[in-house]
Amino acid sequence: MATVEVPQLSGYHRPAVLDWITTVDHKKLGILYLYFTLFFFAVGGVLALLVRTQLAVADNSFVGNDLYNQIFTMHASAMLFLFIIPVWAGFGNYLVPLQIGAADMAFPRINALSFWMLPPAGILMFAGFIVDGGAADGGWTAYSPLAQQTGVGMDMWIIAVIVLGMSSTIGAANFLVTMFRMRAPGMTMFRMPIFCWTMLVTALLQLLATPVLAAALVMLFIDRNYGGQFFDPNGGGNVVLWQNVFWFYSHPAVYIMILPGMGIISEILPVFSRKPLFGYKAFVFATIGIGGLGFSVWAHHMFTTGSVLLPFFGFMTFMIGVPTGVKIFNWLGTLWGGSITFPTPMLFAIGFVSMFLIGGINGTFSAAVPVDFALHDTYFVVAHIHYVLFGGSVFAVFGGIYYWFPKIWGRKLNERLGKLHFALMFVGFNVAFFPMHMLGLDGMPRRIAVYAEGAGWEALNMLSTGGAFLIAVSMIPFIIAVVWAFMRPMDQPDDPWEANTLEWATSSPPPEYNFDSLPPVRSERPLFDARQGSGEGH
Amino acid sequence: MLSMPLPRHLRLLAVTLASGLLALVAIGTASAIQPRGITDEAHKMNDLFWIVLIVALVVFVLVAAALVYALVRYRRKDDELPEQFHGGGKIEVAMVGVPVLIVIALFTISMLTLIEIDDKAPDDALTIEVTGFQFSWQFAYKMSDLGTNSDPNADPDDAISIIGTPQNDPILYLPVDEPVEFLLKSNDVIHSFYVKDFLYKLDLIPGRVNSFTVTPRETGDFSAQCAELCGTNHALMRFVVRVVERDEFDAWVAQEAARQLGEDTLVSSSGKQGD
Amino acid sequence: MAAHSTAEPQGMTNSMLGFILFLASEIMFFGGLFAAYFIARADAPAWPPALSPEQIAEGVHLEIEILLPAISTGILVISSITIQWAVWQIQKGNQSGMLWGLFISLALGLIFLAAQLFDYTQLHFLADDTIYGTTFYTLTGFHGAHVAGGALFIGVVTVRALGGQFTAENHEAVEACSMYWHFVDVVWIALFIVLYIIK
Ligand code: HEA
Ligand code: HEA
Ligand code: CUA
Ligand SMILES: [Cu+2]
Repeated sequence: MATVEVPQLSGYHRPAVLDWITTVDHKKLGILYLYFTLFFFAVGGVLALLVRTQLAVADNSFVGNDLYNQIFTMHASAMLFLFIIPVWAGFGNYLVPLQIGAADMAFPRINALSFWMLPPAGILMFAGFIVDGGAADGGWTAYSPLAQQTGVGMDMWIIAVIVLGMSSTIGAANFLVTMFRMRAPGMTMFRMPIFCWTMLVTALLQLLATPVLAAALVMLFIDRNYGGQFFDPNGGGNVVLWQNVFWFYSHPAVYIMILPGMGIISEILPVFSRKPLFGYKAFVFATIGIGGLGFSVWAHHMFTTGSVLLPFFGFMTFMIGVPTGVKIFNWLGTLWGGSITFPTPMLFAIGFVSMFLIGGINGTFSAAVPVDFALHDTYFVVAHIHYVLFGGSVFAVFGGIYYWFPKIWGRKLNERLGKLHFALMFVGFNVAFFPMHMLGLDGMPRRIAVYAEGAGWEALNMLSTGGAFLIAVSMIPFIIAVVWAFMRPMDQPDDPWEANTLEWATSSPPPEYNFDSLPPVRSERPLFDARQGSGEGH
Repeated sequence: MLSMPLPRHLRLLAVTLASGLLALVAIGTASAIQPRGITDEAHKMNDLFWIVLIVALVVFVLVAAALVYALVRYRRKDDELPEQFHGGGKIEVAMVGVPVLIVIALFTISMLTLIEIDDKAPDDALTIEVTGFQFSWQFAYKMSDLGTNSDPNADPDDAISIIGTPQNDPILYLPVDEPVEFLLKSNDVIHSFYVKDFLYKLDLIPGRVNSFTVTPRETGDFSAQCAELCGTNHALMRFVVRVVERDEFDAWVAQEAARQLGEDTLVSSSGKQGD
Repeated sequence: MAAHSTAEPQGMTNSMLGFILFLASEIMFFGGLFAAYFIARADAPAWPPALSPEQIAEGVHLEIEILLPAISTGILVISSITIQWAVWQIQKGNQSGMLWGLFISLALGLIFLAAQLFDYTQLHFLADDTIYGTTFYTLTGFHGAHVAGGALFIGVVTVRALGGQFTAENHEAVEACSMYWHFVDVVWIALFIVLYIIK
């Protein structure tokens, strides 16, 4: 598309590629983030298909035990560190300045730096596959001492994750300053779009938790390379220390991975119900509550280490269901009494509510400590992971793509293909991951490359593998829809959905400086107010 | 954005309802699959599991039903703008209050169960030292600990031990109806001692000794395996728990003692258990 | 915060807020390292931990001298005062006062670094000698790296000050620099207390 020579106002030409590489425009960076992260979603997905192929039948020898460990480790690393966490930075980059009526982020050049740290880190992490000893293979949790045993791929993984963490830490500071300081006139904190609020809390979590992960990784690196004894009991170190520091980051990190997704669907549900979000303030406080509680539950990943305070962490883990429940009720209340339509973004949003509900509830099983003694490290937990991260986060990603596509690219994705995409993905997802509950209850441990014939896990695994491939198939209509949309002219109006927030007040796609003029902001729905011709006051 | 034709709605409704139902059926099946457990402790955990499952199902069904109802009942019928309410008041209190109550109840019940299963081993309990290594298990029984039938004159440090390999799963012999205490150790990486029919696992951590006690109530062979990723052959780190009657157990002990310690202790010819 | 006019709505500038957030993340980073230290220490049957016979045979011992580090602590505290003094001077528009403050702080910072490197050569253990050695070198090493970074920061600010870039109204970089330096100083005081004083 970019090969056509267009006369440029600025009076000089730059090749399009150079333009993208040197851009500091938050919208272009946002788009770069989206391309980058979707690429790694595909990579992580292909690795997942390898996992499922290996597990389809008992005693399979499709990939060896060693390679299997690398594959699922890199599957999770790609999905978490290179897809889900940065994809929110992508949405945030594109949307936060637009939604608060600003011309750009607070620090555009630092913003570009945050993005450009990602590709080298991604390459470094995956280059592990070509070095001696292979890629990291200790699981994405890299438990020590196992993580001390493996080859140089592990060091590459450590450095890559540190770099990714630095990227998200400085990105977080950027988001915070932008939201604290650059809101349009009239936009008080409690009139900020809800997506911005979720980005704000996410940024706080990133700012405060990611450095702790960096500290943990530094210790691991020192142990591996300089004879450090942090995690070595023979030198007085403590094996469980790794888990404490790692989960101190990684539990808050799971909320880093879901909160912006909750924000996205909290933008979508009101628009297609034609009602305000039910309980805006309750939602904001619930988000803050999740962020705060998120720092006090980390040891629920360590109930079976025999070295944590079970009652305290069990209680806090239960409690975190309360603010999350508030949100579920916010969404129900938004639908209640509405005037609901079902375009594709709405379908994904509904998919999110229903599937995340399952994922949240099966997480609560593990909060009951004695139940977790049975479920820990079984496929039940793998089911939980994917119900929250796929049924939650990934559905929100696609909901967001369908919703903002007209704004970002000025074209609409085909509705029929979108609905087909949703249907296939929804069914495939449940077929792939629901059986994992049963496998877990029946005692199938996670992270095993093979299982024995007599274990009785064959049928459910085969089913799950079928579901995984159905998910892959569901991507075909999506890709067709994207390609098709790009072949069409940019014909979308400013506000195709009758939406509420400021990004719909400018052209689609927005000009470089974002806004010609801003409507007055008198509530959290300035565009609704403008359509109704009156400030609603709230 | 005009209202959508009804058939598509029905289809959507059907899909949602069907998946909800599917979920219910599936969870039902799941709970049938969950083994009841063969120890006293497992039975208590299983009771707790059922309580949590039922509460979870009730929460799920209520919320899912409300969702489906809202989607059907409030789909767009005309261009009228619906009433713009923002919420607030009592309903928001209930939104917090009800889950808090549920959560406190669940927490209390799980703590009661936790206390019950956390009983300390009686002094005379059989103690088995379990050492996990890459990639199998060692089970060591101290002779002084083996109860009435072991040789009173034996050196207290004498022990019989079973060592497995990834290809050859070791067998862990346990007498039925007696409390057994496990001491879990590791010298290389973290492993996890997981017996699905105990509904229990506990990690073997270098630099620490973890312990737990159970009382098996059923005889038979139960497959078990390591549940913490520990390297290449983690998947092959399996073992078998064989719960037998006391006399069979004694026979096995005598035979192993004779084989390993070269002592001609009270060998009884009955119940030879080669492995 | 000192009064100065900027384009932004109220209070501090965007850059200053961003800088404070950056410091918050630095605090969490050191928090992680300190937590590791405390957990290790709480776990240890003895502190410093017992050495193996081989280590003793090699002449390893874990005792550390307190005198030099105590002097270093004094130096760093004084440098914190001098850099704050530089800020106060420029707030009053006193360029040369600020320059003196910066020079002295930079010099004291470099002396601190030199003293620490010298101190390393006096020790009889390395990073691989028990968790004690590992935590000692990791904590002091990362702190030292931050001192070096801070000294670089002061250096840059000094060069800009020599170029007359700061005025009573416009001296944010000096303030940011002094905040960073105070942060480094506070971390050191915490380190000094836990590593050298609490036995
Ligand atoms: C997006 C990511 C995400 C999210 C949002 C969550 C959310 C939650 N998680 Fe999850 N979790 C993961 C990602 C996530 N998790 C991952 C990746 C792992 C595995 C890591 C690994 O080992 O590799 C994991 C593992 C994990 C464990 C460890 C399991 C084990 O290894 O043994 C536990 C234990 O308690 C847990 C609990 C919870 C709880 C209680 C929530 C809660 O936040 C859920 C709250 C939501 C609800 C409860 C539903 C809605 C509420 C209502 C409708 C109100 C009424 C409900 C009640 C009263 C119960 N999670
Ligand atoms: C966001 C997080 C995320 C996502 C989306 C997924 C997605 C999937 N995961 Fe993942 N998974 C994790 C996070 C995630 N996973 C984590 C954290 C673990 C724990 C790892 C550990 O133990 O350390 C795990 C572990 C895990 C296991 C357990 C492995 C084991 O314990 O041995 C399995 C097994 O089936 C699995 C399967 C799948 C499958 C089939 C998908 C599928 O849904 C994937 C579907 C996607 C595709 C098929 C891609 C299709 C796309 C294309 C082909 C091209 C499209 C092009 C464009 C978009 C441009 N995952
Ligand atoms: Cu031992 Cu896995
Ligand atoms: Cu968690």
